[in-house]
Amino acid sequence: MRDRTLINLIVFGAILLLVLNLPLPVAGRLKALTRDTLAPLQKAVSGFSRQARESLKLLRGVGGLIEENRKQAEEVARLRIRVGDLQALEAENLQLRELLRFRQKEARALMACEVVGRDVSGWWSMLRLDKGARDGLQPDLAVITAEGLIGRITNVSARTSDVLLISDPNCRISAFVERSGAFGIVSGCGPAAQGLPVCRMEFIDKSRKNPVAEGDEVVTSGLGGVFSQGLPIGKLEHVHTNASGLYLEADVVLRADLGALDNVFIVADRVQPPPRSPEDEGP
Amino acid sequence: MTQLVLIFALLTGVVLQAVLPPTWAWLGAAPAPILLGIVLYVALAHSQLRMLGCALAAGLLQDALGQIPLGYSSFGFCLAGLAAHRFQDEVFEHAGVTHAVFGAAAGGLVTLSLYGLLGKDGSIGLSPVWAVKKIAGAALLGALVTPVECWLLARLELRLGSRPQEER
Repeated sequence: MRDRTLINLIVFGAILLLVLNLPLPVAGRLKALTRDTLAPLQKAVSGFSRQARESLKLLRGVGGLIEENRKQAEEVARLRIRVGDLQALEAENLQLRELLRFRQKEARALMACEVVGRDVSGWWSMLRLDKGARDGLQPDLAVITAEGLIGRITNVSARTSDVLLISDPNCRISAFVERSGAFGIVSGCGPAAQGLPVCRMEFIDKSRKNPVAEGDEVVTSGLGGVFSQGLPIGKLEHVHTNASGLYLEADVVLRADLGALDNVFIVADRVQPPPRSPEDEGP
Repeated sequence: MTQLVLIFALLTGVVLQAVLPPTWAWLGAAPAPILLGIVLYVALAHSQLRMLGCALAAGLLQDALGQIPLGYSSFGFCLAGLAAHRFQDEVFEHAGVTHAVFGAAAGGLVTLSLYGLLGKDGSIGLSPVWAVKKIAGAALLGALVTPVECWLLARLELRLGSRPQEER
């Protein structure tokens, strides 16, 4: 009995050591294979839980539906007027650009994705999306919602991709304050308790003529080559000088709600057409 | 417990763990330790061989669906499983209190071991304060989730006619 226990421990210890020392590409392939195998199941379960949540919300909010409908109709009317104004401005802008012979900016291409899961371990602020390399996705693409930037793609398997959220301390973004033009670095503060910041902007130049202030909008700077310029991130709060006294620091209140993400968009400017191989053209 | 039931439990566990939203920040956003609960059930009610197999598979599944390097969670699960299995004959293995105590201790232990391993690698940027919150959160969630899981798995085994006591 004692011998059997010892043999078990030695065998499993050896297997564990083997797994821990797997070369990175092999471990990566194994992970991708597991993700792809479980992706349909994960999508089905997350779809079911979303349906259940929405049904519950519907049941709870039956009384407020008329009021909500009225508000939505108002919002639609307001947005239609705004779109009309913007179309006129766009036409004028195009005309002026043509006169000045500026290169035309293309509208951002977006790819809609469904959130099918989150980081299982809880050590990272991550999301898993239902699209992957088969759809042309690759690491370092920006992920946004209608409100603003939420993160970037880090890992891609054939059917899924992982998004590192901007609230994660490992996510650092070059950004600038729209009003003053001051540059800085936005980094995550980890999962925040109520009242604590989710992100912080550091290394903001304090010697500018037009200093940054609370409420200023922060957008991506386009430097660093990962995010395109002008993706909205959030607003500044609690602007203060950092410990060294050389730069300003501020909390960033994100525009997007990272806790309630069901559908997101990938800024697909750099999306490659999915590779075609004979194996892909299966039944 | 047939291998098929174990595979079903592990797959359901990992998918649930991935789909469930993160918990509150005061718990360090620790996820509900569903896979760990399954390992503990097997450790308390089944043979050591089966427990080690379950711990290895559960850890690999957790690592494959997350960012943790392959094998780290298996190491933590095997440690927790071996510790629980060591006390198998000295506790009431089907009592809710036993599962809650083991769930809390194992949740804390596994989270601590992962923090050590990931911190050594430099792959996480969380402060020690967050780690303490996460360890406490994992312990609390372990105490809450493990008894429920053990009850469900015991019911499932009973329905399928498998008797865990006979396996020892």
